[in-house]
Amino acid sequence: MNVHHAKAAEHAVDDDLLSARRRRNRIRYGATQFAVIAAAITLVVLFALAVKEGLARHGIRFSFSFLWDAAGFDLSEGKTFVFDGTFWLAFTEFTSERSIAQAFAAGIVNTTKVAVLAIVLSTMLGVLLGVSRLSTNWVARSLSFWCVEFVRNTPLLIQLVFWYFAVILHFPPIAAAAEFYGVVISQQGLFFPALVWKGEGSPVAIAMATACWVAILGLVFDKHRLVRRVCMGAIVVLPCLMLLTGIVELDFPVASKFRAKGGTGMSPEMAALLLAIVVNSASYIAEIVRGAIDALPKGQWEAAASLGLSRRDTVHDIILPQVFRVVLPSFGNQYISLTKNTALGIAVGYPELFNIYGTIANQTGHSLEGILIVMASYLILSWAISATVAWADRRLSKRGAM
Amino acid sequence: MIARFLKWSRHNLFGKPFDILLSLTVIPGFLWLAYQVAAWTVTTARWEIIPESLRILMIGIFPAEQAWRAWVAIMIIAALLGAALGCVFAFRKRHAAGLLLVLAAVIALTGSKDLTNALLTASTIAIFASGCAAISLIPLLRRALLPAGFIALIAIFAVMSPPGAGLWGGLLLSILLTLVTSIVSLPVGILLAFGRRSRFSSMRWICMGYIEVMRSVPLIMVVYWIWILMPVLAPQFGLADVVRGMIGFTLFYSAYVAEYVRSGLQAVPREQTEAARSLGMSEFDINRSIVLPQALRVAVPPLVGNVLDIFNTAPLVFIIGLTDFLRAGQMILANPQYGDRTYEVYAFLFLTYFLVGSLITFVARRLETHLARGNR
Repeated sequence: MNVHHAKAAEHAVDDDLLSARRRRNRIRYGATQFAVIAAAITLVVLFALAVKEGLARHGIRFSFSFLWDAAGFDLSEGKTFVFDGTFWLAFTEFTSERSIAQAFAAGIVNTTKVAVLAIVLSTMLGVLLGVSRLSTNWVARSLSFWCVEFVRNTPLLIQLVFWYFAVILHFPPIAAAAEFYGVVISQQGLFFPALVWKGEGSPVAIAMATACWVAILGLVFDKHRLVRRVCMGAIVVLPCLMLLTGIVELDFPVASKFRAKGGTGMSPEMAALLLAIVVNSASYIAEIVRGAIDALPKGQWEAAASLGLSRRDTVHDIILPQVFRVVLPSFGNQYISLTKNTALGIAVGYPELFNIYGTIANQTGHSLEGILIVMASYLILSWAISATVAWADRRLSKRGAM
Repeated sequence: MIARFLKWSRHNLFGKPFDILLSLTVIPGFLWLAYQVAAWTVTTARWEIIPESLRILMIGIFPAEQAWRAWVAIMIIAALLGAALGCVFAFRKRHAAGLLLVLAAVIALTGSKDLTNALLTASTIAIFASGCAAISLIPLLRRALLPAGFIALIAIFAVMSPPGAGLWGGLLLSILLTLVTSIVSLPVGILLAFGRRSRFSSMRWICMGYIEVMRSVPLIMVVYWIWILMPVLAPQFGLADVVRGMIGFTLFYSAYVAEYVRSGLQAVPREQTEAARSLGMSEFDINRSIVLPQALRVAVPPLVGNVLDIFNTAPLVFIIGLTDFLRAGQMILANPQYGDRTYEVYAFLFLTYFLVGSLITFVARRLETHLARGNR
């Protein structure tokens, strides 16, 4: 046997060893995978069995059939979906003879209502606060700094109960309510002027309203800048026209002894929850904006200055467009935590999802089934928000700057 | 001096027409508001409610004759926090001077009314300072910090339990809850973070699912759920409400800790792992002594921020019927005798929360700069 043969034989032995080791590794990997999955499934099954047994001891059966029972309780506010026998789902006030599933729906509607309003308002306020940290005015700078610091370093719950018990409940009663440009402010809630449709079925009015919708859709979805500008103009002009011609009228609330007539209202609980969440999230958003501005390279400021741009132009055309492209994902996280924070409504008695769940759990005893529904609802809400933000992020980055 | 001020105000207050308008409207309005608040604080407000109900605010319905237990717990916490701070900040002579001043101030201000409490407060501060100094001057002690932390937690439980864990309350409950949650959720979070980047896809999926679900449901729901689930699962233990609340908080915040640790793990360059592997270290050793220390260094400032989050969400335990600091304040206001003191009590609550919160934020910021200094 010469040297070559010996080497080849050694190689073959090496290859055999290697492939054997690979096979062993593969088997070990597969076995671990299997063991992990098996352990997880066993844990879940054991957990479910223990829960079932524990419930059985309390005489409760795990089932979702309670969802179709009549609720038997009223909500202080909240609308739900009602199947009216035809094809459509009607959207009406919740009453005690509705089913428990409809109570959950009312909770989701209330939570979404507060969350959407809070997302819009807190974004506006937060960006304002964040940008005012850039102001040349010392007062604006330090005021926004201290507001943000104070709000971020105190619990949201104490802010919420403060707004409710120390501010809103100290408003004048509705008989002596304060009026502010048509807004009625009272202990019984806030009432705003509302738009009322007076166009009946006239074709011109319907055409105008449809045009408005189309313009909004065009503004959001169209790719051409010119079309978007036209749409923007239409959105400004058309509603003014409709107001002037009386197709749409402003309905002002009028305070009477116990409640306000006309307009649209907001219960004190909702007002407190909205105020607390808006102020709280706005300061977190301001901090996000500030962080993004700080993270921009200093060269951007210096380059703009050396080109002779004014500070206003620098902020408006150079800094903010770059900031808004990077902050959107962080805004998304903040929107999700804001939506979760609406669950604090239970502390002031606002009937959002978690509060209604608490009532249902007390009434029926099906707290574990209810938790699954609530959990799934919050998961879906979170995913919807993150999907929307991701979509907006893709659009913005595709289009370049703002 | 005046010229300097005029120059400053021209740049910072009256630089542009809009700035002038803003300054002229906001400054008088703010001064008026400040005057109103100050006038209310000095004349209208009746502050005697705070010292009268201080015990309830601080320890809730914990029996007064057992208050020494609360004091012992507070002193252990002070030593622990001081030691933790001493790991990071060097203890200097000027700090000692400042602390002596604070001690003197505490005794001078409150000593005349209630000497025992003043002395106890002073000794708490002294213990805090000595913990800080000891750890910062004798680096060898740092190795004992983590075991000492767990022993301290057990000691606190041992001291506080005899009257019944159901009686815990007030600010002490908030602090204990924060402490236990932040310490216990750390190892759980680290395990979850490693699980999320494990070689085994099943492990990754399970950890990711747990983290994502926990991060998209409200804390108040998790706490309530654990609270109703525990008696169903383990009726033989009869766990106290406090413990169930702590379990809920820990389960929830572990997911957040995992995310912070994961961002730290991602910041460790891959070459570190590869180099360690080429030296023949085992995966466990690599993770324990190469990756984790560097990852924690990045993750520490957000983890301290997380402690602030835990402290700020501690009032949510009202949902399971516990009396924390905020709830104790509301309990005082529920007394019809004090019904009109809303603003006094809320001012005190806000101020305390703000002080503690600012302290934690300050530590987090200092840590950030301190740890960033070592980076090349």
